[in-house]
Amino acid sequence: MAPKLTRRRFLQTASLAAASIPLSKVVGAAEPGLKPGAFAAPGSFKDTKTVTGGVCEMCFWRCQLVGKVRDGRLVKLEGNPKSIDNGKALCARGNAGIKLVYDPDRLKYPLKNVGERGKPKWKKISWDEALDECAAKLQAVTKKYGPQGLAVWYHGASAHYPTAFFEYLGVPNMCEPAFYQCRGQTAMAMLKTLGFVPNEDVDMANAKAMLLIGTHIGENIHLSHVRNFITGMENGAKIIVVDPRFSSAAAKADIWVKIKPATDTAFLLAVMNYLIETGTYNKEFVKNWCNGFDKFKKAISGMTVEKAAKICDVPGIQIIQVAQVLAENAPNVTIHPGRHSTWYGNDFQRIRAHACLAALLGGYEVPGGIQKIERLATGHVHWPEREFEDDYDPDDYRLADVEDKYPFRPPGTPTDLIRETMITGKPFPIKGMVVWGANPIKTFPVQEETMKALKNMDFVMVTDVTPTDITMWADILLPEACYLERYDHIERGTQWNCGDKPEQFVAPRMPLISPMFERKDSVWIINNLAKRMGFEKDIPVKDQEEYVNHCLKPLGLTLEKIRKLDGIYIQKGVCSYCTAQRHHSFPTESGKIELYVEELADEGFSPVPVYTPVPEPPKGYARMVYGRSPVHTFNRTQNNAWLAHEMPENPVWINDKLAKKMGIKDGDRIALQNQDGKISASTSIAKVTPGIRKDVIYLAHGYGSFNPALSVGYGKGIDDQSMNTRNVIEPETGCCGMRINFVRIVKDGKVIDIPS
Amino acid sequence: MQYAMVIDLNRCVGCHACAVACKAEWEVPTEYGRNWVKRLGPAYTSHGMAKTYYPGLCNHCDAPVCVEVCPADTVTKTFTCPETGKKKTMEVAATYKDPFTGVVLIDKDRCLGCGACADACPYGARYVNPDLGDDGKADKCTFCIERVSAGLEPACVQTCLSRARIFGRLDDPNSEVAQYIKKGASRLESKAVNIGPNVYYYGNKRDMHLLKATCTPREMPEASLIGKRAMFAKLGKTVTKGAGLAGIIGMACSTLASEDQDNKQE
Repeated sequence: MAPKLTRRRFLQTASLAAASIPLSKVVGAAEPGLKPGAFAAPGSFKDTKTVTGGVCEMCFWRCQLVGKVRDGRLVKLEGNPKSIDNGKALCARGNAGIKLVYDPDRLKYPLKNVGERGKPKWKKISWDEALDECAAKLQAVTKKYGPQGLAVWYHGASAHYPTAFFEYLGVPNMCEPAFYQCRGQTAMAMLKTLGFVPNEDVDMANAKAMLLIGTHIGENIHLSHVRNFITGMENGAKIIVVDPRFSSAAAKADIWVKIKPATDTAFLLAVMNYLIETGTYNKEFVKNWCNGFDKFKKAISGMTVEKAAKICDVPGIQIIQVAQVLAENAPNVTIHPGRHSTWYGNDFQRIRAHACLAALLGGYEVPGGIQKIERLATGHVHWPEREFEDDYDPDDYRLADVEDKYPFRPPGTPTDLIRETMITGKPFPIKGMVVWGANPIKTFPVQEETMKALKNMDFVMVTDVTPTDITMWADILLPEACYLERYDHIERGTQWNCGDKPEQFVAPRMPLISPMFERKDSVWIINNLAKRMGFEKDIPVKDQEEYVNHCLKPLGLTLEKIRKLDGIYIQKGVCSYCTAQRHHSFPTESGKIELYVEELADEGFSPVPVYTPVPEPPKGYARMVYGRSPVHTFNRTQNNAWLAHEMPENPVWINDKLAKKMGIKDGDRIALQNQDGKISASTSIAKVTPGIRKDVIYLAHGYGSFNPALSVGYGKGIDDQSMNTRNVIEPETGCCGMRINFVRIVKDGKVIDIPS
Repeated sequence: MQYAMVIDLNRCVGCHACAVACKAEWEVPTEYGRNWVKRLGPAYTSHGMAKTYYPGLCNHCDAPVCVEVCPADTVTKTFTCPETGKKKTMEVAATYKDPFTGVVLIDKDRCLGCGACADACPYGARYVNPDLGDDGKADKCTFCIERVSAGLEPACVQTCLSRARIFGRLDDPNSEVAQYIKKGASRLESKAVNIGPNVYYYGNKRDMHLLKATCTPREMPEASLIGKRAMFAKLGKTVTKGAGLAGIIGMACSTLASEDQDNKQE
């Protein structure tokens, strides 16, 4: 939209003209009839109502919010002052939720694709028509192919009720990208070592030293997690960051290990080996709390400092320095578990190395260490057990079991098994796909395969809040209420600093405003779908409020009670330090931390962490590594006007010495080409910097939206996922690896090799 | 009284929450900003490699040039000290520095939207909102004085994840801002641009080096010299020509916030 040509804009072009307005020609007094202050915004604290009970879902950390509402319009979001998690603070994305609510491109009505999948022509239809068609088409699939003919890709809080329904339907294969394309290995490696999944419950605020492997805190923003990191830093923690790039975290570090990508496991093994050889590991902790030390010690003895220095391309002295800093500060050290771990297809072993290193230092359940935090448990909503026809048992059709693969997989069916079956129809056909709150096109490597799989479906049903890449593939597209307009998730947590007075909180998401247009919540959608499919009598809750109240019941709480408590129920908590000592064991079979996991050996995998090299970039290419932007949540937020303004594109980080040889300057407009010749559909700008290795190209993930319906985000920046034309699936877990593709630069239509 | 802000770059992670919260608080049009976050580096400094941020806003300067260049006719305005109740009467154009709080404000009713103030600011802290009034209205950070008067923190201070923005009174030796200045927080000023900004920056040597090297304004904009030009003309001298309006040349990044779609890139 062209800006209106005002005198100001005219004067902008004549730079000195502004300086030459004759002072005499000015009108001083305000025009009659103008209300004083008509041009001044009043501020969110004036003439607004504060509505409580918001729980953010701009990302998945779920800070607690309040909204400022004026004349029925949500004008600002702020942290809930009562929150012991984020308090009054809120990150850029949390603040920008306003621009999601009022995004003019958001889905408003049910839509039917009367064009082609991938090249849609949308026809607005009523909810009745939409749900009639969904019910009929889903039933047609299950009638012809059995319930196993359906599959679901889902994500987020609003998908819980729908997936419970699809489980009731007998759908055996459902998948959450949060595991298979993100943190599946982190969860499983920790589970196999510790007997529980700590996620990111690590007490950085009270650490004496911290080790971050790739974890780019500051570019990834999880509010209270960042706060923990900064607090620890301010308390004098020694910070060690291992990263091929000078990340925001590296910029605050005492030691930056500029490691060659894909060699982190070798680094960790060498550190552990050094600690053992020098006897500087935490002997008492290992004696009391670890199992399999002798076998572990022998198995890792080959990874010397010298060997790792060569593999990792870092000075041996630096590996020793890291080991010494950690030993000096044990047990109060943070060995960060990581989160997004789907890097190379050998990541389960790397996270096992994180867990074992923490064990060698005693960094569990002490100030600074990994914690087992107790949170209040809420209930679940289940549909009743069903008697299927023909002795159908969904367990007979779970793809990972049928194909006897991925014995250490996280919950759900690996993405790739579902996708492959959608394409091949083997071992049985999958012909109906439901996507709820996920964007498989931007999430899964090898986009061509995802599109092929979707083309092969009899029916594709998609529910979302905004148009995204995936919504272009829907036959029926349903508009969901966003997180500020519905009930679903119940956030449970503790005070943000483990060292503070122990408290626990429960914060159920409550709407801050009503949904506009014909947007509906997932309980309404599923219940009305279920009715049409003949399952009315089994509907477990009649609406979203009943759903949440049902889940709160085991705690003796209700939405009304909590609303009266300003949206957050708080009670006394349990100190997370010394949980194991209190229970006298870790929740493993042996009661101890498993350095050596017998179960892994039984399945033919390495029972101790092992380093496996991956293919190097071919000549002329560098490895493409991606990460997070502090103002975006992958592709979800790309159409948010406020966030796009802060970072409209994802700059491509190129080493400055290389860039000079390549004739690329900072700010040049470039595209990427990968090892299979594919060129990115859109461009970004080069960021030429000394802060990155020469064998790596880096950019933030999620840019380069394909959907033209996104007037802000369409075609902005480069889609890193589009460069992943090769995939690797980890044999232990079925999780994928997304850093195994290589790129070179395209500038002004010319392909430029990366010099070696 | 003089309100001031300190940005602690050790705590700042460059999350941009402050920029978005301000926009929400004050209904700033998307393409402009009362404040901004520039991403600096990684770059070599004499103290090692640095990667940091320039969270910027109006500095509510001691000697604000924006106030001097406003061409609106003046009116008489009486100010009241919020602390002592003391009164002061001054002639002000459409923008003025409150003699008690030190906050620089815009009288939107009388503002012409000519943009002279925005052009004059060496920090690029002002913009003209073209959608207000007939010719637009100048707008900028007010240190959230309206919120502060109501007992609240400035919006950017409140939303900051790591409490990297510190707000308070310079004249109170026990205030956090005064403490920060005591331990070395400093201003972005140079030989030519020394109008007394009341936003201070604090951080380690490498971050401060990168910030100062890339974000310090080195020249006063031409438009700020009107008053001086007239004065020099009387004396028979000429004003030295500068490099145009924006006198800041960054090392690896553009540092001025302007109305144009300025890519605030890493």
